[in-house]
Amino acid sequence: MSVDQSSAWRDLAGHAKKLKDKQLADLFDDEPTRFQRFNYQTNGFLLDLSKQRITGETLTLLTALAEEQQLRKSIEKLFNGGIVNQSEQRPALHTTLRQPLDKPVVVDGKNISEGVHESLLRMKLMVDKIHSSQWRGYNGRPIKDVVNIGVGGSNLGPLIACEALFDQEIQDSHGLRVHFVSSMDGSELSSLLESLDAASTLFIISSKSFTTADTLANANTAREWLVSSSHTPVTLINKHHFIAVTANTPKATAWGVPEKNQLLFWEWVGGRFSLWSVIGLPIALQIGMDGFQAMLEGAYDMDMHFRQTPFEKNLPVLLALVSVWNINFLNIHAHAVLPYDGRLASLPYYLEQLEMESNGKNVNHAGEHIKYNTCPIIWGGIGSNAQHAFYQLLHQGTEPVMCDFIAPINRYQNDRQELKEQHKLSLANCLAQSRLLALGDSTIDNNQEAPNHKRYVGNQPSSTLLFDVLSPKALGGLIALYEHKVFVQSVIWEINPFDQWGVELGKQIATSLLPGLSSEMELPVDSSTAGLLRHILREQVGVG
Amino acid sequence: MRVCVYGSTLTAWVTAACLAKVGNEVVLHEGQDTYNKELTDIPVIRDELGLETEIFQQINEGRFERDNNAEVCEAAIHWVALEANDQARVEHLIDVIARTEKSTILVVNQCNFEVGATAKLKHRLAENGCDAMVVYIPDNLEQGKALQLFLRPKRIILGIDNDKALSRAKALLRPFSQQLEQLQIMGTKEAEFTKFATTGMLAIRLGYINELANLADKFDVDIDVIKDGMGADHRIGNHYLSPGCGFGGQNFQTYLSMLSDIFDNKGSQSILKTVIEENEIQKEILFRKCWEHYKGDLTGKRVAIWGASFKPGTASIENAPSVKVIEALLSQGVQVNVHDPEGLHNIRSKYEKNQHLKCYGNMYDAIINCDALILVTEWPQYMSPDYNKLLGTMKTPLIIDGRNAFDKQLMIEFGFTYIGIGR
Repeated sequence: MSVDQSSAWRDLAGHAKKLKDKQLADLFDDEPTRFQRFNYQTNGFLLDLSKQRITGETLTLLTALAEEQQLRKSIEKLFNGGIVNQSEQRPALHTTLRQPLDKPVVVDGKNISEGVHESLLRMKLMVDKIHSSQWRGYNGRPIKDVVNIGVGGSNLGPLIACEALFDQEIQDSHGLRVHFVSSMDGSELSSLLESLDAASTLFIISSKSFTTADTLANANTAREWLVSSSHTPVTLINKHHFIAVTANTPKATAWGVPEKNQLLFWEWVGGRFSLWSVIGLPIALQIGMDGFQAMLEGAYDMDMHFRQTPFEKNLPVLLALVSVWNINFLNIHAHAVLPYDGRLASLPYYLEQLEMESNGKNVNHAGEHIKYNTCPIIWGGIGSNAQHAFYQLLHQGTEPVMCDFIAPINRYQNDRQELKEQHKLSLANCLAQSRLLALGDSTIDNNQEAPNHKRYVGNQPSSTLLFDVLSPKALGGLIALYEHKVFVQSVIWEINPFDQWGVELGKQIATSLLPGLSSEMELPVDSSTAGLLRHILREQVGVG
Repeated sequence: MRVCVYGSTLTAWVTAACLAKVGNEVVLHEGQDTYNKELTDIPVIRDELGLETEIFQQINEGRFERDNNAEVCEAAIHWVALEANDQARVEHLIDVIARTEKSTILVVNQCNFEVGATAKLKHRLAENGCDAMVVYIPDNLEQGKALQLFLRPKRIILGIDNDKALSRAKALLRPFSQQLEQLQIMGTKEAEFTKFATTGMLAIRLGYINELANLADKFDVDIDVIKDGMGADHRIGNHYLSPGCGFGGQNFQTYLSMLSDIFDNKGSQSILKTVIEENEIQKEILFRKCWEHYKGDLTGKRVAIWGASFKPGTASIENAPSVKVIEALLSQGVQVNVHDPEGLHNIRSKYEKNQHLKCYGNMYDAIINCDALILVTEWPQYMSPDYNKLLGTMKTPLIIDGRNAFDKQLMIEFGFTYIGIGR
């Protein structure tokens, strides 16, 4: 029986009908102390759900749904290495990556935590060597710039962490700079190379399979650049200018990265959950190994909260259940992620991948097409900037949208007063926007008389997530919170969040089309694709 | 005359010893760090050849006293020679001196603080009711020949803000003036500025000749020939024009960074910053030459280092290129053998626990079975070694000459692979 046939689901549907006409403004009128009732705290995080269109009964019914779906059992299965990725028959053990050494995780009779800590140690040795300026380029000069080449999980995770934590001061890195390139077309790489010195640049090729076309295209260009700028044999370049982070040693070795320059991880680490593994090398290079460990600790604390706290007070569970309520019972299919801190500019992109690649599925565990909605469209941006862009739609558009407002409480502690004031201004805007979205202009005196184009109807639900400061530990906790939210949703929806078959076929088609861009040939394609190919061939410079 | 000297810098020790040598009654307030130590255990004394003997002699003759019971003592002259980062302590000392001394005293400031520091000290004394004359004498001592430079200077700059101070200062320096060619008198601020400016100029010259040497490597021309050509131009001259593997030493580097900071604080970009950065890179050049020779793979190699101190005549390895080269070699898994006539104890204590580094008292023992010999410091005993012995005992006859000390042609004729700086 699929979940939408369950009694808990039906109860929620009935409850939603009853609440249909209740506006958020009414809910606040009915219960002036909503905040006390619907705010939840753990490990320095505060989650305010009082601006969601829920009542106490909603949460009771939602937790009943979670119980009915045997969520507790699924969580244990996740942590204990059970096969939670059925289509690929493997566990998803990203939580093991942040497990302390004294807490073994035994899968198939083997403590895999030991291997995790060994790989972290290997990473530490590399970080130390680079930080102490003892990793040498082809002419013996120390490495000053490190470029991470990766895409998807091998890019977004390290990128968001490095951006978010760029102001973490570390003493011993000798001004090392960390860069990221990902796009297949070489846009980022080509402009970056102009500002780099080949002799002191090290590339990290991050690819779980070491077959990712985007990454290998960039890696090959980087190697050509190194060889031609240095007039040095490729073997010497391979030896000193590349680190591979991968689960596929033979492929990395065949490409040319010596084994001593390889950091390995495992099949059971999903790409979008991999920043906790050696994929996090750029993070450790930027914020130091201690900072990286603090990030793991923050995530581990959230893991323990997720695993041990009753659903009624469990932040990832509540965040997930409320989103299920919005999606499946209030018919809201758009979700905006709105950090009020410029350092989290890439968080929306990160969550786009984490949520949409995980739960953008239409087939359940039984292999059947499902009839209810799963992951919504997710997008976002720095809140205060987005106020000048898409907030118009949030306030006066026709689409219902749920929002996550995310902000640190303190910033610029050791900085000038003016910057502290700027952060306050940002926080004031964060609170103002969620208030206006929830309550509309009912809170403003006399606005009811205004013409329609100046009215705000409100009733857009939102969650607000606050934490003390944006530290490595807080970021670790924040990302783990969303990872677990995604997992809980998948359990409710009965889908596999750990595969991504939807991204495969496009790659194959691209490979088959590539020859058609070099010379005219008959390809068995539709008339649109054939027409576009012909046009490109005709207009392409230097071909034909 | 009774003179009170403050500080535990090389300058403080040398000043106290030399002032005592010419008959003054000198009390040295060295501070807590060294007070309980034997002279032989104080690195700045141990590292400076001849200084320990001189101090012993003055103590024995009763003109030199180490006193740390009181912060200050009564004297006609107070000579302050503390570290550049000790300004707060100097200001405190000045306050105590001002409260203690009732008669007119002479205060000599020989600390390298910021431009205007001496005037500030004078102001402080006056505020505390002390009618003192204050002069600034730039510290021009060079490690390795500090005694000689204090006893027989060729040139002295006196920073002075009133004439009475001038006659007192001249009287104090008279015993050291026999070979004096130039006594320049200027305001204290100008004198402080001059000290910084001179240090910066020397660094820029060295940085520039090193840069030229690196370029000469690429053009396959001999920098020594070019250097002679440049030096013959009277506008340039020959001094401070020898390329090498970077400059070191504690004081020089400290003043340079201070000067660079002064530029930074006044909002102007300084070429000094680049010079300092490039110098750190230059200190590794001998490692890089070795690395390039062995095509980026030094694992398991054995390399001898001749000369560890930052220059001949001192045992100090502070900021020395040798340290950078050793660190780099060790990181690549190289066995490093070090010889130095004076500085081995400093190397030993720095690398006490490293099994891949060995110190040798005999320079020829250090090279046995080595894949390269790197000459870092030009101690005289390295200038004309027994080449046949080198050829006989080295595994690979590769010489990397960081001071262009050897004759290139001769080395090649002997059968060495010779790599110099810029030639």
